[in-house]
Amino acid sequence: MATKTPAAKTESVLSLRQKLARYSTVRNWLLLLVFWEIIGQLRLVADGALPAPSAILARMWVDWADYPPHIWATLEGAGAGFLIGNAVAIAAGVLFATFPLTQRLARGVNVALFALPPIAVSPILVITFSDMTPRIILAAIGCYFVTMSATVTGIQQTDRRIVDVVHAYGGRQWKTLIYAQMRSAIPAILSGLRVAAPNAVLGSILAEFGGGGRFGLGVYLIGSLGRGEPDRLWGIGLSATVIAGLAYLLFSLIATRLTGTSKAVTVPASPPAPKAEKSMVLTLALGTVSFALPFLLWWLMLAIMGTPAMIAKTPVGLFDYLFMMPSSLVSLGKLATALGQTLPMTMVGMAVGLSFAFALALCSVLYTAIIRGFMPVALVTQTMPLVALTPLLVLILGRGPSLILWITVSVTFFPAFVTMAQGLSMVSRAAIEVPKAYGAGPFRQLWLVSIPASLPYLFAATRLAVPRALLGVMIAEWLATGKGLGNLLNQSRGYLDYGMIWSVSVVSVLISVLFYQIVVAIEQRVLSKRGMAPAQ
Amino acid sequence: MNAEHGITINQVSRSFTGRGTLVQALSDVSLDCPEGSFTALIGPSGCGKSTLLRLALGLDAPDSGQVLISGMTPQAAAKSGKTGVAFQDAALMPWRTVEDNILLPLDVLGRKRSAYHDEVAKLVKLVGLDGFEKALPGELSGGMRQRAAIARALVTRPEILFLDEPFGALDQILRRQMNVELQRIWMESNATTLLVTHGIDEAIFLADRVVVMQSKPGRISRIIDVPFDRPRTPDLFAHPTFHALEKEIAEALDGH
Repeated sequence: MATKTPAAKTESVLSLRQKLARYSTVRNWLLLLVFWEIIGQLRLVADGALPAPSAILARMWVDWADYPPHIWATLEGAGAGFLIGNAVAIAAGVLFATFPLTQRLARGVNVALFALPPIAVSPILVITFSDMTPRIILAAIGCYFVTMSATVTGIQQTDRRIVDVVHAYGGRQWKTLIYAQMRSAIPAILSGLRVAAPNAVLGSILAEFGGGGRFGLGVYLIGSLGRGEPDRLWGIGLSATVIAGLAYLLFSLIATRLTGTSKAVTVPASPPAPKAEKSMVLTLALGTVSFALPFLLWWLMLAIMGTPAMIAKTPVGLFDYLFMMPSSLVSLGKLATALGQTLPMTMVGMAVGLSFAFALALCSVLYTAIIRGFMPVALVTQTMPLVALTPLLVLILGRGPSLILWITVSVTFFPAFVTMAQGLSMVSRAAIEVPKAYGAGPFRQLWLVSIPASLPYLFAATRLAVPRALLGVMIAEWLATGKGLGNLLNQSRGYLDYGMIWSVSVVSVLISVLFYQIVVAIEQRVLSKRGMAPAQ
Repeated sequence: MNAEHGITINQVSRSFTGRGTLVQALSDVSLDCPEGSFTALIGPSGCGKSTLLRLALGLDAPDSGQVLISGMTPQAAAKSGKTGVAFQDAALMPWRTVEDNILLPLDVLGRKRSAYHDEVAKLVKLVGLDGFEKALPGELSGGMRQRAAIARALVTRPEILFLDEPFGALDQILRRQMNVELQRIWMESNATTLLVTHGIDEAIFLADRVVVMQSKPGRISRIIDVPFDRPRTPDLFAHPTFHALEKEIAEALDGH
């Protein structure tokens, strides 16, 4: 008995500590809620633009009859997109992992799908397709990249020795896939699906912003934007958040049930790197094909759809519109002006968001207690369709340039912070304790260990931030400021200027991909010099 | 002697390029393991013993030379189910029960599980895992996992058995117990066996002959016959001849 007591005691102390930690999370949320309620009641933010939670709930009660059709429509688009997108993603992931060459060929398509700002392609989807299809496509695109990279990573991380056992009995690719790789990839795929679920909701809502259809939370949100009723807007925004959060939770539960593990919430921002080819010619050829493939698919898609050339621009049609027509100069001028307005905002917002995230992530190393309270909040924002909540920020911040900055900062800050903080928490204790053992202070420790160790995560966060920042700016422009690419897109929609809609879409995707590639290029240079591998 | 049901390794060479330098993992290696023999491969890290085993398993192909397993190419032998293998650290699939793990080779070879029902029950008993058929690898101790891996290696009734440091992850005490058990299991199976190991005492205790390898380039430097009769008992570890052999092998490893 005497030997048993201390063990039992530590156990109870541990569980008490866990209880306290859980309790402190709940306490932080409650504090936040109370704080919000007070601010709302006193109408402290922009003369009531941030209503109290009680007011929002009251309004939801009044509007209750409006919600079901909108929620169902969004769920329908998101659900169908989730199924299709993930089925394609898993099949593609298996293909890429089994035949690495295909992955190199598809790199262009993969990066384009990752980097494209959904709002930019939403109008062309709406004019090319009808009914639910645009929503399903955007929801599917939102799922594709996450699940595809999770599948590839999962398959590639299969225990080598297990694969060897299958090989040693004469099993080749197919049997290895069935008996070893697919099964061991399941936890990775599930954690991919978990991130994909809220993405699907977000994709559907963004497609709804682009028009087409009477129902959907996005439609409801846009429709209510002009009426200046903050409590209703917040109700819609919060319902979207809850749906996305529930989708996330559902797959977390499935993952825990099936695998007994729950993985960290990080969003993959890079296609897993296939092995480099030695031959220069082959590399060049693969690169060219991979670059050309997205354009080819774009062309093929339109050819199959048989959409009239007036509405649907092929790459050649777009070239004609931008360079060969009498009106080309005017179009190019408009595009250049819009770019001139959008790009600086994107850059500044991204820089501020990332530096803020980096600074706070470093603080998390120095002051772990602060972060323990903050991290749950930050994690929830991962599942929040933050960009879909832009209308709420319009309400609070008005329609000036500060709005754009705030939106860009907020959509880049949270994912970047979560990525970097998790990266930093993975730095081994021993590595941190070595300088400590030689008497280094906290800042020296940061400089010697934490900052260098967090470089891969800083880059991963930047890769993640690039498309989000552009998306944030464009949504703000579309909905509020009346400037830049987002506004040009919205205007052209009104003028039925199909050439311009396509131009803006394609240009914004290209810019996003270009930024992404620049980040990747810098990352490769910096990390390979330090013998580090890029973080997922 | 060309072994009909043994292992024939004929002037095999294999090199790798890593970080711009050429590493000669195996240089002109020849080895014959006659039917029913037990051969131990021992050598320092990087001497190519694992490479040799991978070649024999058909997991890798030689640059030159030939490997024959039961008179067939390694791949053909693997596909016909003539070989069995146990790797270091068990390499069990964590999501399969002990029984399902033992049955894995049959799944890969596309054989009917039902035909092996009795065989599996016998093997489970043989390796002393009765009662744990439905356990997952995570619930077993290291030694039990290793025994499951050995049962898996034996399930196809292989003519040829490859053991790649099967007890490398176990502690010395458990390892000796496992050596005694492996000998018992092996004597019942009659398979031609090739054991890759780091342990000198393990090699002597189990094998008919010990093949000592050297690195840079990977080659066979000496073959030492082990004269003891079977079954060998744990007392053997204290036998003077055993110590003399240990000394001889240690010196061979040092390059004398």
